[in-house]
Amino acid sequence: MASAAASTASDGTEPTLASTAIGVRVTVTRLALEPADAAWLTAVGIGEGEALTVLRRAPFGGPLHVVTSLDAELAIGEALARGIVVGAAP
Amino acid sequence: MSDDCHAEQGTPLPKVEASAGTRSFALLGRPNSGKSSLYNTITGGDAHVGNFPGITVDVLEAELALSGGAKARIFDLPGTYSVRAAVDPETDEGVARRFVTEKLDGEGFAVVQVIDGTQLALGLRLTREIADAGWPLYVLVTQSDLLASDGKKIDEARLEEELGVPLALVSARDKGSRERVSALLSTREARPANKDFDPATLAREVTSSARAGDAASGKAFTQRLDAKLLHPVLGPIAFVLIMGALFSAVFLVADPATAASDALLGFARKWVSTTLGEGLVSSLLVDGVLGGAGTVLVFMPQIVLLSVALDLLEASGYLARGAFLADRSLRFLGLSGRAFLPLLMGHACAIPAIASTRIIRDPKERLTAILVLPLMTCSARLPTYALLLSTFFSGKGPLFRAGMFLGLYAFGVVTGLLASRILRRTATKGKSLPLVLEMPRYRMPEARVVLRKAGRTAKRFLRDVGTTIVIVSTVLWALLKVPAPEAMRAAGADTAIERSVGASIGHAVEPLTKPAGFDWRIDVGLIGSFGAREVMVGTMGVIFGIEDVGDDTTPLAEKLREAKKADGTPLYGVPNALALLVFFVIACQCMSTVAAIRRETKSLKWPAFVVAYTYTVAYVLAVIVFQVARALGA
Repeated sequence: MASAAASTASDGTEPTLASTAIGVRVTVTRLALEPADAAWLTAVGIGEGEALTVLRRAPFGGPLHVVTSLDAELAIGEALARGIVVGAAP
Repeated sequence: MSDDCHAEQGTPLPKVEASAGTRSFALLGRPNSGKSSLYNTITGGDAHVGNFPGITVDVLEAELALSGGAKARIFDLPGTYSVRAAVDPETDEGVARRFVTEKLDGEGFAVVQVIDGTQLALGLRLTREIADAGWPLYVLVTQSDLLASDGKKIDEARLEEELGVPLALVSARDKGSRERVSALLSTREARPANKDFDPATLAREVTSSARAGDAASGKAFTQRLDAKLLHPVLGPIAFVLIMGALFSAVFLVADPATAASDALLGFARKWVSTTLGEGLVSSLLVDGVLGGAGTVLVFMPQIVLLSVALDLLEASGYLARGAFLADRSLRFLGLSGRAFLPLLMGHACAIPAIASTRIIRDPKERLTAILVLPLMTCSARLPTYALLLSTFFSGKGPLFRAGMFLGLYAFGVVTGLLASRILRRTATKGKSLPLVLEMPRYRMPEARVVLRKAGRTAKRFLRDVGTTIVIVSTVLWALLKVPAPEAMRAAGADTAIERSVGASIGHAVEPLTKPAGFDWRIDVGLIGSFGAREVMVGTMGVIFGIEDVGDDTTPLAEKLREAKKADGTPLYGVPNALALLVFFVIACQCMSTVAAIRRETKSLKWPAFVVAYTYTVAYVLAVIVFQVARALGA
C-alpha cells in the first residue's frame, strides 16, 4: 500500500512528530510530504508554525492523538507523523 | 482560487432541475462541525439522498421553507477541510467541490458554511479559502450550546462585520434555529467574504470567556473519558466490549424482529396459496415474489439496527476513538481503523456491513472493504456448514466439529486478509489518503436525528436493493420450478425439480464442477442458494425427497450419507463435503450482497468483479481440496 508520507518522509536526522514524547509541546517546522498532502494537512490544521502536543499513542505503534494550539484534537497516522518535522515550541 | 483548480476529472454531476426563480443552498463545513445535525433541524428531517450518478458519497437534498412562503432547495454536502487543496475527486472534498463549482453556473445559488463555534479558527480557515474562491456565502456558527457550557461567547456582530457576509449563531439542538436560518437566507443576500483576515487572530478577537473554566464542561468530561477509553490497556478492552455488545445486539435484537417479519410473510403466503390454489402462478407469487420479499424483510432489522448503532457511535464521538484504537491492527491489510466496524459486522450479515463502509473516508480503502466483505462468514452460511459437518463428520465428536466451525470462520478471515492485500496491490491500488481523524468531544446523540437516518437507510434499502432481490428471486424461482423442454431434460427425470430448467443447467455444468466433487444435484443447490445461502439445505432436501427440511436436518443427513452411485459406491464423502465447505466460504453466493455492492459502488463493474473473483477462487480451491482429499483417502 502506498503510504501518504513514505515517499517524502524525513530522512531520520530531524525530529518528527512520530518521535515526539507524550506530553511534549512542539512546533511544526516543515512538512516533509508530497505538496498535495502538505496542503491538505495545513487545511486540516497542522501547518508549518502550528504548535502541537502529543496526548497519547494508540497501542502497537498506532496513530498519535495530538492537540493543536487552536484546541483541535486529531489522531494522526504513524506514517504521516514521520513526515511532520518538528522543533521545540517557543 | 482559480477556476482551473476545479477543472478536475470525475463524472460531471448532473444539473439539478429547478424551477425558475428557485433558490438553492449548499451546506459546507469541516467534518464534525455539526453540519448534518443542523441540516436535520432546519429541514425538519425531511431530507432524501439526492440522485447524483457517478458519486458514491451521499449528498442529501431537501426543500426549505423560507420566510414569506418561498421555497428553496438545500443540499448537505460531505464534510470538507479544504476547497483549495488538490484532492482525489472521489473523496468527500472532491465531491463537495465539484458540486459547488457546477451549481455556481446556475442563478440563486449560495454556499452556507457551517462552523463549529468551539473550533472557530479552524472553521475560519475554510472561510478564507471560500473567500478566495469568490463564492457567494452565508455563515452559520453552530454548537452555541457547547460554547455556553464552556463559558465562552462569540461576538456575532463583530464576526459578521469582519467577514462581510450574513451570519447567525445557532444550535442544532435549538428548534428556534430553523426560523433564524430561514429568516437569514430569506432576508439577506449572500456575497463573497472579505479576504483580509487572519483566522486565528479573528477567532481570538471575537471569542471571549464569560466565566472561568468549568471543570464540569464537555471538554473536561471528554478528557476524563479519553483517559479511560483510550488507555493503553483499558482502551482496547473497552473497545472489544463495546464492539461485542454491538455485534450481539445486531444478532439478538434483530432475531425477534426477523421472526415477526417471517410470521407476517407466512400469513401472506398462506393467503395467496389458499386463494389461488396449487399451480405455477401461485408458486410464482408465493415462492418467487413473496420469497424475495421475505429475504428483503429478513435483512431489514439488521440494516436498521446497524444504522442506529453506527450513528450512535458517530454522534457520541466514540467512532473516531474506535478507529484510533483499531488502526494499527488493520494497517497490514491495507485498511485503516475505520474499516474495523464494517468487517466485524460482516460476520453477522454483509448487507448492512457494506452500507456501513460509508464511514471510511478513503475511496480506495472503502472499495477494498466492500470487495472483501463477502468473504466474512455471515450467519446465512451456518445451516450448510451444520448440515455438512453433521453428515460427514458425525463420527468425529462435537469438539472436532466445533473446531471445524471455528476453522471455517478463520478461513474466511484469512481469505479476506489475503484478498485485501492482493486487491490493494492490484484492483484498488493507489495512494491512500493520509490518516487524520478528528477526535470530537463526547456528546449525547439526538434520538430524532439517529432515527430519521435509520428510516432513510431502510427506505433506500427497500428501493435500491429490495427491488433487485425480488427480481432475482423470481428468476431463481423460474429456474427451479419451470419445467425445461423435453429435449433438455436428463434421462429418467421424474420429479418436478429434476425436470426443471435449473436441473438441466446443473446437468450441463456437471462436467465442469465434477473435478470439485459436485454433481448436478449440488449444482442445482448452488444455483438456488444464490438467492440466499440458507436455501441450499432446503433445495438439497427437495432433491432428496424431503419437502420441508426445517430445523432438524437429520433425515437429510442420512439421505446424503446413504446416497449411492449406479456402481453402488457412496455418492458423497468427506472430500465432497470439504470441497463444498471451501466453496461456500469463498463464493459470493448472495444476490442481496451483489445488489448492495451495486448500490454502494453505483456501478455494475464491481459487483461483477466480486462474483467473478470469488467464484473463480472458490472453484479452484474446491478442486484442489477435493482432489487432494481424495488422493489422501479422506
